[in-house]
Amino acid sequence: MSSQLTAGLIGALLAGAILYLVRRDHMHGSYALWWLAIAAAILILGVFPPVIDWLGRITGISYPPVLPIIVGIGMILIRMLRTDIDRSRQERQLRRLAQKLAILEQELSTVRRDRANAPGDKTASPRTKSAQVIPLSKPSDG
Amino acid sequence: MPASAASQRSILAVIPARNEAPTVADIVRRTLAGGQCDVLVVNDASTDETAGLAEAAGAAVIDLPFSLGAWGATQTGMRYAQRNRYRTVVTLDADGQHHPEELPTLLGSLRRTGSNVVIGTYSARMSAARRLAGRYFRLLTQMNVQDFTSGLRAYDRRAVRALASREASLLDYQDMGVLMLLSKKGLILHEVPTQMSPRRTGASRVFASWLLVARYMLHTTVLCFAQIGVRSRVLFRSQSARSRMA
Repeated sequence: MSSQLTAGLIGALLAGAILYLVRRDHMHGSYALWWLAIAAAILILGVFPPVIDWLGRITGISYPPVLPIIVGIGMILIRMLRTDIDRSRQERQLRRLAQKLAILEQELSTVRRDRANAPGDKTASPRTKSAQVIPLSKPSDG
Repeated sequence: MPASAASQRSILAVIPARNEAPTVADIVRRTLAGGQCDVLVVNDASTDETAGLAEAAGAAVIDLPFSLGAWGATQTGMRYAQRNRYRTVVTLDADGQHHPEELPTLLGSLRRTGSNVVIGTYSARMSAARRLAGRYFRLLTQMNVQDFTSGLRAYDRRAVRALASREASLLDYQDMGVLMLLSKKGLILHEVPTQMSPRRTGASRVFASWLLVARYMLHTTVLCFAQIGVRSRVLFRSQSARSRMA
């Protein structure tokens, strides 16, 4: 009975920690869902270890304890793949954002300089002038 | 006022520069002296006075907030060109190995051949490593480019649109990846022989050390494999062009 207690305790602790972190709103949307599912699985397997033996019999694995390990490692690999895909997407966005920022900064300084150099009234004319200078960009640009 | 002249001129010279203070002003002046194009220097987070010198020489200068690498800087120029409605973009390095005097050759070739991209090549420059790499990538991609890392290029509007796209944002160099993207889009590439000088300062960002070369080769190989299957659409004219010139 003590082994089941240990397993149950570990499962409950892990699930509790995940639940706590998810509830503290550190993750958004799909991540939270994923981790809640993991927490639930850990809790169930921890509290009811016979589930593993039952799964082992169904899948024909002669040594059932290896099943959660294999599945766990598989999940971790998939998760890491997802993370790298996400990171690549973010890298792309970051690069484009930096480019856009630099382009707009240059444009802004050009407009400012034109405005400073503009002869005559400095309060009335600049608005129309800068509107002429800035070419419109397509919305799909970003 | 380079930026406000954008509406008049249709060619933009994009010069990516990272710590090229000794040469950048000279390159900008010589490019402007051609009288054909506006000059944009994309300052890739230099720690020296590259930006100031370029601006004083008459270029429009874009300062990147952090280093985006050679291609990231060049792509910034592509996006600037698109935003400001330039029809043609030429790129050249700021380190003095590309002669701005060669730009008319490139632009003339772009107009004459009806191709979308013209690459200025200088085969005598190539080291053994570079030649070997070139042979390897030609084998891998079936693209017949002599100098695939040359940064001296002219792009028409279609090519600029393709290269300003999100698709091109994860590339790191203006090399195989860019060429494969262009040929995937069905754009026509063309090579012209040009004069170049050895680098006066700085070293090649790609062929700096053997370790970097190995990393670069591996990286590009992966890129090539990711593109396999699209290479059948490659349209290449450099062969016929070379025989015409000979």
